[in-house]
Amino acid sequence: MSQVLARERVERLQLKQIMKVMEKAITCGASGYTFSTHPVNFEIVRSLREIETLDRPFSLYPVLPYAEGYVRLNNEKGTIGLLREVLSRLSVSGKAKLLVKGGLSAATFDAIRLLKAYVDMELTSYLNVKPTRTSFRAVFLHEIVTDLALSFGASQIFDSFMHHVADKYEAKPGFVTRNFVKFVHFFQEHDLPLKQVAIMTPFNKIGFQMNPSEQDCKACYSRLSQVEVIAISILAGGYLGLDEAVEYLRGLPGLSGVAIGVSSEQHAEDSFRKLRASLGE
Amino acid sequence: MGVLHSAIMNTFPDCRLKAICETEGVLLKAAKAVLPKTVAFHKDYLGMLEKEELDAVFVTTPIHTHLSLITDIARNNRDLSIFVEKPLASTYDQAKSACDAIRNLNGLYMVGYQKRFSPIFQRAKELIKKGLIGELLFFRAYVFSSDVLSRGSSWRSRKGTGGVLLDLAPHLLDILLWFFGEPSAIEAATRRIYSDEVDDYVHAAISFGSGMKGSVDACWCLRNYRLPEISIEIYGKNGIMTVSDDFVKLTLNRESGKSQVFYRQSFDTSVSFLLADPEYTIEDEFFLEAIRKRTKPQTDFFEAAKVNAVIDRITESGRRVE
Repeated sequence: MSQVLARERVERLQLKQIMKVMEKAITCGASGYTFSTHPVNFEIVRSLREIETLDRPFSLYPVLPYAEGYVRLNNEKGTIGLLREVLSRLSVSGKAKLLVKGGLSAATFDAIRLLKAYVDMELTSYLNVKPTRTSFRAVFLHEIVTDLALSFGASQIFDSFMHHVADKYEAKPGFVTRNFVKFVHFFQEHDLPLKQVAIMTPFNKIGFQMNPSEQDCKACYSRLSQVEVIAISILAGGYLGLDEAVEYLRGLPGLSGVAIGVSSEQHAEDSFRKLRASLGE
Repeated sequence: MGVLHSAIMNTFPDCRLKAICETEGVLLKAAKAVLPKTVAFHKDYLGMLEKEELDAVFVTTPIHTHLSLITDIARNNRDLSIFVEKPLASTYDQAKSACDAIRNLNGLYMVGYQKRFSPIFQRAKELIKKGLIGELLFFRAYVFSSDVLSRGSSWRSRKGTGGVLLDLAPHLLDILLWFFGEPSAIEAATRRIYSDEVDDYVHAAISFGSGMKGSVDACWCLRNYRLPEISIEIYGKNGIMTVSDDFVKLTLNRESGKSQVFYRQSFDTSVSFLLADPEYTIEDEFFLEAIRKRTKPQTDFFEAAKVNAVIDRITESGRRVE
């Protein structure tokens, strides 16, 4: 989405209006909600219980961490200040006491354990408020972490996140990436189980945010089988119409899902009715 | 920014991250836990330069450390290429010293003004050159972000090391210099909102030697800017051109031609590996290619020093408004 559109959307939508849009989306066929762990999304998940039409299983797809918030904290407090803030939040949440006790001592600092404790802290708060009809279908690692791990070949990040999410939350581990081809190749080269993860990645006919190219991503997708892929950026940041997007997605049989942002009840009704009618279940 | 550049560079064929220098023990340990075993870690950069065989170094430390690092690196190895994250230095004097330090050496020396690698800003520059909006009259430009929404404690909030002018404004100022040439006169007003030692808001009126005049606003304390946002409106006798990170819009008078919008999506911005914005990858690819082919980067130290000159002039002429 363009920066101006995103800003206007945040300014326009207050919780009450957001829940009306959510209700309309659910009524018109939305089967899940993809969200970053921004405080507003916490309120949205908490308020889902008030939606009467939510009478069927509904999937939640949290994306961790809320990267933009941490980038700002990094700017305000510096990297060490940011780490202190994360440890202080972990301490308040009661997670990973030993880790917090060690503080920022280089001797006791454990990056992988910190990642797991952070996942626990974020998910526990949502577990406590989500309605019983909802479940974590998959828990996603934000693209900034996924793609950084990919660039450095840090397979232990993928490995520990996958095990932690699957073992502790019985949810599918998921990864958001804007480097789909490289992601798939990396998993294949490192014998990581592609079929056990969900991948959220851009797919649109103009190749917006598809790297290294639309053709390569499409060809890579067509060679996969039984891998859960959720398409994002299907409207290429508001550049394409829904009809064009749907036509393109028909060329990607077997997609597990499509995530789309909506900004009004009408927008939700138009989008989800069309997606349901065109792409089915 | 060090993480970003090293990650991107590490994905290029025939290019590998060989060593990292970090003085914070805990960050060093975190990096060791996740980075490949082939990467060497150092706490002392001179030791790193001595021990490692390197082709290029990225300097992504706080701004006030740039000059001493550049000087030491240049003195240590005449062939090593240096990429410095913007701005080149804290002051114009320091920027000139950085240029002196690398003058007549054999490396390639570039500063991270990645907006110049954006196809949108490149298209805008072309359209100005073509004269589609006619004789240029004036411009209005801003760069806003939500970077500082409370009292900050990082180096960015300390005197001589940061502030909105050194941290957020340089990209916009670099683009304006690229579009309009050298400034002839500057007047400014500044304001502190959350910071005690640096300015959080700057308003500057800039006249260029070409006759172009306009105003710049920079503020990093505004809510709901998910990313920093740049916007430049250029008014001409035949119409208006608006440039942002997302589009170039030409609104022409009826007799002057057809109005057009070029959205980011209409350009091919796919890259070999995407992290943050494609401009970073294009910029890093350019740096690598420039080293290989010995081509001069348009954002070299000498060009980047001009931005520091403008920043100094804004600081000198700035009246603080409380």
